Amino acid sequence: MRTLLKTFKIFAVLIICGVCLIPFYILTVLSLNTPQRVFYQGNMFVPDFYLPNYIEAWHQSQIGTAIINSAVITVFSLLIILALGGMAGYAIARFAGRFNRMVFAVFLGCMMIPGIINTVPLYTLMRQINAINTLWGMSLVCATLALPAATFIFTGFIRSLPKEIEESAIIDGCSWFSAFWRITFPLLKPCISAVVILNGFGIWNNYAQAVFFLQDRKKQNIPQAMSVFFQQFAGAKWHLMAATAVIAVIPVVIAFLFLQKQLMKGLTAGALKG
Amino acid sequence: MIKVKKMGLHTFMAVPAFLLFALFFIYPLTKGVQMSLTDWDGLSPSKFIGFQNFINFFSDDRAMSDIKTTILFAIFSAPLLNIIGLIYALLMNGEFKGKGFARGIIYLPAIISPLIMGYIWYFLLQPERGFLYHALDLFGKSSLLGNWMGQYSSAVMVLVIVNVWQYAGMTMVIYLAGLQSISEELYESARIDGAGTWQIFRYVTLPLLMPSIRINIVTNIIGSLSVFDIVMSLTGGGPGYSTETLSIYIMRMCYGSKTGYSTAVALILFVIILIPVTASMRLTKSKD
Repeated sequence: MRTLLKTFKIFAVLIICGVCLIPFYILTVLSLNTPQRVFYQGNMFVPDFYLPNYIEAWHQSQIGTAIINSAVITVFSLLIILALGGMAGYAIARFAGRFNRMVFAVFLGCMMIPGIINTVPLYTLMRQINAINTLWGMSLVCATLALPAATFIFTGFIRSLPKEIEESAIIDGCSWFSAFWRITFPLLKPCISAVVILNGFGIWNNYAQAVFFLQDRKKQNIPQAMSVFFQQFAGAKWHLMAATAVIAVIPVVIAFLFLQKQLMKGLTAGALKG
Repeated sequence: MIKVKKMGLHTFMAVPAFLLFALFFIYPLTKGVQMSLTDWDGLSPSKFIGFQNFINFFSDDRAMSDIKTTILFAIFSAPLLNIIGLIYALLMNGEFKGKGFARGIIYLPAIISPLIMGYIWYFLLQPERGFLYHALDLFGKSSLLGNWMGQYSSAVMVLVIVNVWQYAGMTMVIYLAGLQSISEELYESARIDGAGTWQIFRYVTLPLLMPSIRINIVTNIIGSLSVFDIVMSLTGGGPGYSTETLSIYIMRMCYGSKTGYSTAVALILFVIILIPVTASMRLTKSKD
């Protein structure tokens, strides 16, 4: 009975993993087929390994620019989120002033509001300050949307650290402000990785805001470039679409492989403190 | 204990975060409430029209169909995500070889752009030329695959399935984090008291999993009701406008120079999200 259950379990895990991976496999097969290839010619599951697709897709889709744009936006947004969210979390956790309590209450309330609610009026503001089609504008938008949840995670984590760690630095003549950067911030590592994982991929893949704020072809991020590319062919030329998608997915998968170990640790440290 | 001095740089450490948030979130939000009461087209001077935008919304057939689609999608997607995520987590919680690897694979779809995901499934499901069609054709069963994206009810179901397929791993990871915070001793003592597998799950695991359940329910409700990317790439809102969701409607109305109207729709969507979120927060509130 025990072994039967165990076999069943392993079987179930294998099937689930297969279901998760098959679409990726098919995408790769599609991207490696010659433009003339029709599926039912020969073996469906073995591609032609026709690599020129990738070169043509790279040139036609401008995905290279889009990857750089997505990377810039993601890095800038994460830096803003970590710096501002970390400082705010520290202030809220350590100094219980009226202002800090108000900030926390506002952030907590706004955590439930998805970005789309705000995007149209934000669009008019962005136009007034000339932030449409700029990477800094998009970074600020993405950072703002992630800030409440990040501050919430930082506050919970800093509260669980003893106050003595900063106090000893204060005795040595450090100010409360520099004690945060020198003493507390380095201790936030598990929390930082949680914030980076929870927000990084989402910002990299952002489409709902990019549709509004990144329309210029030179400033497009990955999803926006993909959607323009797809509309250009109106659903034809799948081999090029698939090759572009593979190119777009590769950086994410590499980042994921690096961060995977931190994922569980970070989530336990951060997300469940609330 | 050292007394924290009243003034100093540290007193202002929450200010930058708040300023950014006030400028890019709170200010547009209040502006949006004002704009929703005008007929502004984004360029020319606007006129105050009271609640006319809201009245127009509820008398527009397309808008009513969008509300129906959005809610229908969420009713299936949010609970399914939770249940499947929980099953995955329970399955992945035990000790077995390659556990970390399997978890990684299941989480993988969640980090890929939902827009790209939508395109992948589009390649899979297209009638006559999709991958699934040809795979079924090998067995002479291609008739099993209908034009699913061409009909309303099946198109919504495809959207639900793709969304659940993509984000079940995300839900799983949060449940796993919750499961791991439950100490082994509790299971141990429950077993000594003679509790069966189901009883342990019902009276030990489930109550202690409440924080994870809460997070998952709330995030899945918000995510499902504001769904945007996969609908754009899989059906584009079609056939016609039938699978259009409210987020897409807001975007299209904004592009259609109905700026005032689209902010009114955004406020309506906000209320639609707020009701189930506050209700489920109440219901899952821990009783201790």
